[in-house]
Amino acid sequence: MYNLLLKEFKIGVSPFFYVLPFLTGALMLIPGWLYFLVILYFCFITIPNMFGGYKSQNDLIFTSIMPVTKRDMVKARVSFIVILELLHIVVAMIYSIFTLHLYPDMMYIFLKPTLGFWGLCFVMLAIFNLIFISMYYKTSYKYGAPAFAANAGAVLFAGGAEWLALQNSYVSDLFKGAGSDNLGAHLLILLAGIVIFALFTFIAYHIANKRFEKVEM
Amino acid sequence: MLALDIRNVSKKYEHFHLKNVSFQLEKGYIMGFIGSNGAGKTTTIKSILNLIRLDSGEIHIMGKNMDQHEVELKQEIGSAFGDINFYTRTKVRTLTNVIKPFYKNWDDDTYHKYLKKFNLIEDKKISELSTGMKVKYSLALALSHGAKLLILDEPTSGLDPVARDNLLDIFRELVQDGEISILFSTHITSDLEKCADFITFMHNGKIINSAEKEEFVDAYRLLSGTKEQLNLVKEQLISYKTNLFGFTGLIHTKDFDSSQNVKSAIPNLEEIMIYCSKKEDTQDV
Repeated sequence: MYNLLLKEFKIGVSPFFYVLPFLTGALMLIPGWLYFLVILYFCFITIPNMFGGYKSQNDLIFTSIMPVTKRDMVKARVSFIVILELLHIVVAMIYSIFTLHLYPDMMYIFLKPTLGFWGLCFVMLAIFNLIFISMYYKTSYKYGAPAFAANAGAVLFAGGAEWLALQNSYVSDLFKGAGSDNLGAHLLILLAGIVIFALFTFIAYHIANKRFEKVEM
Repeated sequence: MLALDIRNVSKKYEHFHLKNVSFQLEKGYIMGFIGSNGAGKTTTIKSILNLIRLDSGEIHIMGKNMDQHEVELKQEIGSAFGDINFYTRTKVRTLTNVIKPFYKNWDDDTYHKYLKKFNLIEDKKISELSTGMKVKYSLALALSHGAKLLILDEPTSGLDPVARDNLLDIFRELVQDGEISILFSTHITSDLEKCADFITFMHNGKIINSAEKEEFVDAYRLLSGTKEQLNLVKEQLISYKTNLFGFTGLIHTKDFDSSQNVKSAIPNLEEIMIYCSKKEDTQDV
């Protein structure tokens, strides 16, 4: 599994995609922006490029002829996605510290980049992973429809969260008003987000495993 | 000892059926796997490598069941697909560095020895290698991890005659010590006349014949004669072609009666392949 993960890092994606989190993360510095987009860029750009590369380079057969189990192939791929997602979130979180200090009196229309907001980002990626990973492993090469469905799921969640914060005064206060300083509540939302992310990704991995067993090269 | 033992392998697709495929390859020999395009050679090779799920049958490599010992056996198998390229924009060096940690018996000295022997340049990208060089690179990788069974799908297709001859010489060299066995599929029958010890012939998903090369060829005779003579042997012929002067047809040696005075010759592999395929196609119609 370790060697497969190493393979993903070395030839799985162009090194550009290790730099991308720092570029998209810099978008956090735009005052009062729709910050969900910063994380969504991973889903919009990195995922289709990555999986397009696997398809065009015949990665499925390349990996299958090596002495590895199908289970490890899925495990390494899912781990690689998770590592890239974490890289995107952590880098964006670091940028957000600067944002909060640069514009302390900002009136937010969209969600403020609080710890709770990052919890919501984890939930958004959880939905993305569940849809994308489980759908992709039906064939292990068709990535268009899974990426479209997973992006739709993630965008709907982000849109829903923003809409709720616009419509509901309690949610608005929690994420944009005085409640955004409630560290306890936000830490709890972040933790819940991480748990949902772990759980959904784990479920996606299991579904993928079962489906990949039946895939023929 | 059998390097490869395929027993009653079947696999049904919507438009193609691999029917009860069985053949064996002795350790230390080269087996040529022939058949026309679409005969099922690649499907059989994929089933050997466990890339497809079998409907029934078993595959044993070095005496072990592939299904149960897949990871362990893949340490001992080297493979090359003539028409599938991997990571073409990656440099040879980078790709080797990715591949080698997967193999516990990887030997850098052997790898460099073969790079030198095959004139492979590590700084080249895979896409910059010629077709022959790509096959040689796959061979260098396989030999560096101590592969005992080489499974090569159409390794000589697309190569010029010089490169083909060169590759066939390498195959002969590899099996000299009796440790390495090679199964290679091709539709270029002259390759096999040069280097194969055994021939397995497949058509429409079925094994037509699998035998030692001389025995394989000796099992058939190519007859030619007048139209009147055709009527004498028609029933026994596997298939035949007629022309203005008479006919040419293939017959099993055991069915051939030399007292009929029909001119006979030993066929080459291409003729056997053509006439046997003709018979199968006629039957299928």
